[in-house]
Amino acid sequence: MPSFPDTRYSLVARVRDADDHQAWREFTAIYGPAIYRLARKRGLQGADADDLTQRVFLAVSRAVGEWRPDPARGRFRSWLATIIRNAAINALTRRPPDLAAGGTAVMALLSEQLAPDEPLQAALRFESRRSRFRLAAERIRQEFSDATWEAFFLTAVGGLSPEEAAATLGKTVGAVYAARGRVMHRLRQEIERDDESSVEEGA
Amino acid sequence: MMIQESCNRQRIETFLEGRLAEDEQERFEAHLDACSICRNELESTAAGQDFWAETSTFLQQDRLDDESVELRLNEACDFTFPATEDLGVFRGLNHTDRPELLRVEAYFDATDDPRMLGRFGGYEIVGVVGCGGMGVVLKGYEPALDRYVAIKVLAPHLSTSGAARKRFAREARAAAAVLHENVVAIHRVAEANGLPYLVMPYLAGESLQKRLDERGALELVEVLRIARQVAAGLAAAHAQGLVHRDIKPANVLLDNGVERVVLTDFGLARAADDASLTRSGVIAGTPQYMSPEQARGEAVDHRSDLFSLGSMMYVMCTGRLPFRAETAYGVLRRISETHPHPLRDLAPEAPLWLCDIVARLHEKNPQDRFDSAADVAELLGRCLAHVQRPADVPPPVNFSPRHNVLRLWQAASFRRRAAVLVVTGAACLLLAAVVLQAEARSTKGDLMPTQSTAGAERATSAAGSVRREPLMSEQMLFQEYEQVRGRASQLEGDWKAAATETTDSWEESAADLRRRLERLQERVEREAP
Ligand SMILES: [Zn+2]
Repeated sequence: MPSFPDTRYSLVARVRDADDHQAWREFTAIYGPAIYRLARKRGLQGADADDLTQRVFLAVSRAVGEWRPDPARGRFRSWLATIIRNAAINALTRRPPDLAAGGTAVMALLSEQLAPDEPLQAALRFESRRSRFRLAAERIRQEFSDATWEAFFLTAVGGLSPEEAAATLGKTVGAVYAARGRVMHRLRQEIERDDESSVEEGA
Repeated sequence: MMIQESCNRQRIETFLEGRLAEDEQERFEAHLDACSICRNELESTAAGQDFWAETSTFLQQDRLDDESVELRLNEACDFTFPATEDLGVFRGLNHTDRPELLRVEAYFDATDDPRMLGRFGGYEIVGVVGCGGMGVVLKGYEPALDRYVAIKVLAPHLSTSGAARKRFAREARAAAAVLHENVVAIHRVAEANGLPYLVMPYLAGESLQKRLDERGALELVEVLRIARQVAAGLAAAHAQGLVHRDIKPANVLLDNGVERVVLTDFGLARAADDASLTRSGVIAGTPQYMSPEQARGEAVDHRSDLFSLGSMMYVMCTGRLPFRAETAYGVLRRISETHPHPLRDLAPEAPLWLCDIVARLHEKNPQDRFDSAADVAELLGRCLAHVQRPADVPPPVNFSPRHNVLRLWQAASFRRRAAVLVVTGAACLLLAAVVLQAEARSTKGDLMPTQSTAGAERATSAAGSVRREPLMSEQMLFQEYEQVRGRASQLEGDWKAAATETTDSWEESAADLRRRLERLQERVEREAP
């Protein structure tokens, strides 16, 4: 195994690079739940969906060691997003037994040559956008008081009318409109910022 | 118009950027209270229509979020794998997101087995099963006994808090004191490298949740068998003063089919979540099985577990959650404010006594539920015996009903309830008519006019409220109706014949009917949810 220590060294070195590290964390947070949900929606049981998700990231983590800076491949983060998506799509189009994390299977998972499955790609985009919204909501949550957040959540997500929410929360209707407008504005900013930083992914 | 004058587009933008002074903001909110133009402008400036729709869709909790426990555990732990050379780096990458796990790992001793993550408390650590509110659950291997174990470790940041340590130790000891075949055993409660932990068997059986996901509603015998064992396990725990707090299908393991049921995760997981529950918009874990007192964040006792057991039985019978809503908030509100859809509508073949038991467990007021899990286990045992040997064992009817009428009403199908409603209305109208006639007649017999007017009003209002809130069981209503009708026709006959007429007998009859009406009304009021 002559090349192994070298691969490992370069991986460790790159991991220390804050940007790459950040990209990895971001993408596992976004794609982990997305892949799990997609697997469940495609009929896998919870534990199997878990396994599939873990195998995707296992394969990707191995592939990370093979990354070399290359102008043709672009930045690490866009490359990483691409292989995560490819690995997810390939894993989801295959049956679980094919996913045993052996060498060839790993390469197959990451192969960019598989026939494109447009509905599946769209579904993955949808689920990853869901993750982005949830993560963005988590990030901005502490910027608002409980009362403001509840006014937003009960109406914009919970389906209560502003009048009902006002009665529930003991606020004026105007205050409910103001509160949910503020949160919504902030959430949109956060998502747009996210979109800018991930523009290279082609998500 | 005043409103038009104070509309100001610039102010909306300033507000959204959070740059309005406090008093200006108050004026702006007051303006929004009345001005729909500015509301619309505010909403569309904040985000486009599509974005509002996306937000509603994406932040909504759904079926997959209900699996939260396992899913969240894995999400939270960020995909932990058995150790291999390159995975060591992989783990290092991920754990930075989960300080508890990273920190727990820092407490591991070195191991010479390369397949293991490390060694803790003398166990070889194979992997991470999950992260919970209070710590991390590890899968361990005990070489001396050649067995796998689950090790629950209190999170290091909590281990520095005296209160959390005490609570963990107290709950762990209480759980360890519960020796019962339906409760997961605790092998050991100890501390290693400054972290308290407890050791349980590593159980591989599938959870009731998984069974329900795969097969939906269960057979009556299975429902009773599982519920009885859960109740028996709870009784053993309650006897040690331990409240589970998180009874739900995911915490019920089916060992060997449904022959043996094991209750897991006593009191440890939910404790930390309870406090944070009402603070944030997003609720950790699944609130569907909570009791009303838990949903409101009040103190709970053993009867809270009984409510959750009721919800679990409802799900086993119908395949559907008793309290459902789009959001966790909605679920909590339903739990504390509404009654579930009648079980009989969803599971028409469910015996009435089973509906009774579930409804009794589902009483909003803990005092109205069964007194103890032991009572429930005993009752369910009799139910099971009856179902298995109907010829030998009579159906279980002799448990003391508290709000029998309401439960029967809830258990009745829609059609039966509608029939009851009609009959009740008719009976009450008839009753009112007869009373009024009787009153009119007795007025002739020189009764005090004020009295009789009051009586008539009472009769009318009583009839009115009975029509509004017909919450009687059909049996009782029919009985009452038959009696009232008998009495009424007797009175009517008397009145027509005018043969046995005396003021006294009229007065007596009218008073009797009034009393019946008042009792009906009282009962309706008492039993209305
Ligand atoms: Zn205006």
